[in-house]
Amino acid sequence: MPIAYAHFPYLSSILFSCVAGLLIILFIPEDKKDAIKWVSAVCSGVTLLLSAYLFFAYDKTQGGLQFVEKYQWVPSLGISYYNGADGFGLPMLLLTGIVFFTGVLTMWELETRVKEFFALIFLLVSGVFGMFMSMDLFFIFIWFDVSLFPMYLLIAVWGSTRKEYAAMKLTLYLLAGSALVLPAIIYLVVKSGFHTFDLVALMHPGTFTPFQQKFAFILLYIGFGILAGVWPFHTWSPTGHVAAPTAVSMIHAGVLMKIGAFGVLRVGIFLCPEGWQYWAHLMALLAVIGIVYGVFVGLSQTDLKFVIGYSSVSHMGIVGLGLATVTVEGLNGAVFQMFAHGVMTALFFSSVGYIYDRTHTKSIVELGGLSRTMPVASGYLIVAALTGIGVPCLASFWAELTVFISSFKVYPLYGILAVCALVVSALFMLRVVQRTCYGPPKERFAHLEDVSFKLGIPRMILVSVIVIFGLFPDVMLNMIQTASIPFISGLP
Amino acid sequence: MTSTPISNWTVLMTAVTAVLPFVAFLLIMVFTRKNERLSAGLSIGAVSVSLAGALFLIIQYRHLTTSVQYAGKWLVSGFITIPVGFLLDPLSLLMLTIVTVICFLVQIYSLGYMAGDRGFSRYYAFMSLFAWAMISLTLSASLFQLYVFWELVGLSSYLLIGFWYEKFSASEAGKKAFVMTRLGDVAFMLGLLLVLMNLGNLDILKLNSPMVTAVMSPGLITLSALLIFGGVVGKSAQFPLLTWLPDAMEGPTPVSALLHSATMVAAGVFLFARLFPFFSHSATAMTVCLAVGTISMLLSSTMAMVSRDIKQVWAYSTISQLGYMIMGLAAGGYVAGVFHLTTHAGFKALLFLCSGVFIHQYETNDMFDIGRKGGRHLKTPMICMVIAAAALSGLPPFSGFFSKEMIMAQLAGLGNPIWLTAGLAGVFLTAYYAFRLIFIIVFPKEINDEAAQENSAVHGHEETEHHHDREMAWPLVILAAITVVLGFGKKMLQGFLSGRLAGVEEMAGHHSDWLLYVSVSLAVLGLVVTWMEFGRRKAGQIGFVERIPALKSLFLERWYIDRMYRRLLDVVIYRGVSNICTQNDNRVIDGSIDAVCDGTVKSGRMISDLHLSMIQYKLLVMFVAVFFLALYFFF
Repeated sequence: MPIAYAHFPYLSSILFSCVAGLLIILFIPEDKKDAIKWVSAVCSGVTLLLSAYLFFAYDKTQGGLQFVEKYQWVPSLGISYYNGADGFGLPMLLLTGIVFFTGVLTMWELETRVKEFFALIFLLVSGVFGMFMSMDLFFIFIWFDVSLFPMYLLIAVWGSTRKEYAAMKLTLYLLAGSALVLPAIIYLVVKSGFHTFDLVALMHPGTFTPFQQKFAFILLYIGFGILAGVWPFHTWSPTGHVAAPTAVSMIHAGVLMKIGAFGVLRVGIFLCPEGWQYWAHLMALLAVIGIVYGVFVGLSQTDLKFVIGYSSVSHMGIVGLGLATVTVEGLNGAVFQMFAHGVMTALFFSSVGYIYDRTHTKSIVELGGLSRTMPVASGYLIVAALTGIGVPCLASFWAELTVFISSFKVYPLYGILAVCALVVSALFMLRVVQRTCYGPPKERFAHLEDVSFKLGIPRMILVSVIVIFGLFPDVMLNMIQTASIPFISGLP
Repeated sequence: MTSTPISNWTVLMTAVTAVLPFVAFLLIMVFTRKNERLSAGLSIGAVSVSLAGALFLIIQYRHLTTSVQYAGKWLVSGFITIPVGFLLDPLSLLMLTIVTVICFLVQIYSLGYMAGDRGFSRYYAFMSLFAWAMISLTLSASLFQLYVFWELVGLSSYLLIGFWYEKFSASEAGKKAFVMTRLGDVAFMLGLLLVLMNLGNLDILKLNSPMVTAVMSPGLITLSALLIFGGVVGKSAQFPLLTWLPDAMEGPTPVSALLHSATMVAAGVFLFARLFPFFSHSATAMTVCLAVGTISMLLSSTMAMVSRDIKQVWAYSTISQLGYMIMGLAAGGYVAGVFHLTTHAGFKALLFLCSGVFIHQYETNDMFDIGRKGGRHLKTPMICMVIAAAALSGLPPFSGFFSKEMIMAQLAGLGNPIWLTAGLAGVFLTAYYAFRLIFIIVFPKEINDEAAQENSAVHGHEETEHHHDREMAWPLVILAAITVVLGFGKKMLQGFLSGRLAGVEEMAGHHSDWLLYVSVSLAVLGLVVTWMEFGRRKAGQIGFVERIPALKSLFLERWYIDRMYRRLLDVVIYRGVSNICTQNDNRVIDGSIDAVCDGTVKSGRMISDLHLSMIQYKLLVMFVAVFFLALYFFF
């Protein structure tokens, strides 16, 4: 029974262009690599345009769920195909569009098994998009798993540095996560007595008893949290980052880790607000440990991608800390940080990927002097590092600032620790920049060419997104507030 | 809060003044990196417009009595509101003028100094970035905005110190500067958060209003003032975070002149002055500030007495002069501190720019070398440098004399004579190290034939390089003129500044007379001592400090502060915490996960072993199963 036919199904078209891209690629012969790349670029470009359109077309004064599409799918079980976008989902959709498109462009030079690679990427991303737009628990779980499995192949086939180990570790970890999520979802659906997987219907206050909420929330938190790199379940992530090929690292760190945090928000916090408040202190503790621990471990890494991996652990800790504050500002900061961190790591991996492709090393001991030989490539790396440090007027500064302020208010000690970690994070990012980009140019890298204009396009997009949202953070925060303010004020 | 209504014209003018350099930065970074002339043109054009804007504003508001404030919204998130706007009052207008004037002069000077450098466009881009950040910092109406630009000037400082990134020492110095100032900034940020939690607002005017005491308890005010002062310590390179500034001299000399003496490092003092009424609420905080200023002043003066590097001497001197400013402010002398900031910006920039000419010409930083190679033959920079050094030492009639006098008078007004004693000792040391440098350059010893030859060779070199001299010379002349004249504007400036804080400033006038003679004679004493040791014909050019090895190495090693930090970093951070965390990650977390996986595989193996066709095991299993089932059913 279609409820809304009034508008064009934008959300489904995003999914559709992913699936269409996948199918078209499957029908293109293996050796027409250029055709495959062009199809990927066009289809991912369409998703980017659609998600950007939705982001700006969303009616902020009205708020709530918009662009809703709902069809009963298995009425006997209460499963429906139910998509909608709100102030939490739209930034994530935009992020996915950006990272997907730039990721595809970054892999323009790929030569081995092009067809399979792009097909798998499309499969992965359709899962991600679905996860961010779905409002039905059943579909959320399905999309969640759809986005996990291609990772295994993508890393194990196209990866480097202990790729089989990393792929296996990552898959097992993530499956462990979904093994916790599934029982929690089923538990909630059964206990509600509504016979529906509809998230909006289940969200009514009073549906679940406090005990049920506490029980389900901790399962959901750990299950999704594994994916978000919550300490101590984070070790899959650096290993996975290191092994994955560039575009996969970008999508992995840029978007996939956000699925975890978003899952905690969309399923855990939405359905079990009391459980959330009950466990908030634990969340804050783990998040702060992650923030501090991540920078310290990152300090003694010598592999560029490991460094970024651990910085992700630290930055995702900020997301966790924001979520744990149970305040409007905290939620705002957390969602903004998801977005900013996504774009930032995408830029990081994209520039490191370029450097790795040319120099064939990721070890910061061997690198050096790249600013002379490839000024543009190292420029991108430096911008990413500066964003990671939290330099003002770059996107993540605002996110971190709002999280710090709200956490300082709710958990003063954790707030102080998180702020203090800024010093160490500056130390470790600048150390990386110094070792790779600065110093005398090295003989063996002298012949390498800099990023050409064409290859520079994805990086330029990422840099401009970082700068634009850094200069005009209100564009993003106004969007997130349309969801966070009603949600917090509706809390019991 | 009374605010004068503002015209749209002012808003526009201020916005243009602040934003134009940023536009130049973006344009250079994105489009004109290849075209050096255009980049320099863009940058200088932008900064000239800013200069014109600043002059327009200060002339328009020269009779300002209340503050002009404008606030728009930058970011709203729940209860957090970060405004973007500006606050025009005597302090910010004065600082704005200083910043734009020096920015403008230094950028002109750099045309000559940086000519032919590979990173010419990049240099001008970063300079524009700095100009934008610094101008916006001065104009900030709320501490949030100030913090944002505070970080951004730190960023441009990092980029400019490490400008010649191929040198390890340069990139290391940039990193050190960023991290050390970050350390202070964290304290600053925590202070801001503390104020925000209690006041709900970070408006500078609100912070400075007397209402604060009603909302915050004295202890809280002291704590937050001290935390904010942490930021000042970091940015203005005060004790104990002072060692980054001498290292920052790795940057190009115009950068040192602009950022690391005249403007950016003075931002710390500016912040202190900005929040002067807030700080005055807490006597404890003021005393701590006074102590920090005094210690930094004395420590760095001693370091300057033994250094051979011309830029290092001025860097130490910057720290010590900033220490003076903080002493002046902490002693309650708002006008004294700010006035010294103003005069110092002029003469210290001049000192650096003059040194830049020598360094450019002789390609060495060593003052003995410069002297031997004939430094005194460069007439304009030499004369300007002597003027500036005299101002630095506080000799009349140069600008430094007037401002230092005011600080001394302020210190004399304090109950405890120790501060005045320290201040006067500083006067002696300052004159000593400033003229030590001058005499070494002007009266080089050991002129033998070889050196004379070198001299003439250098002269040939000079001829070919003369074409940049004009760009580099006239900023010197202008600054020298300012140094000579500025002191006589004391009355005017005093009136202008105290328009806002009429009640706060109390001149300790009755001390002035004897104090004047004491401090001038101390400065002259310093001069005479250096003359005996370095200037006169038979001088050995070995200072009295250098005759005591222990003291010499103590001063040369910067009182071992740097070593201590290095060790701390190595032992605690790298080998301590970082290592432990990494080991934990590899051994404990990953180890236990691997163990779980191994356990799973092994138990699977064991179970599959049970299923090998060994009949006895199967029977055993069946027996056990039946036994337990029986137990379950029967009981």
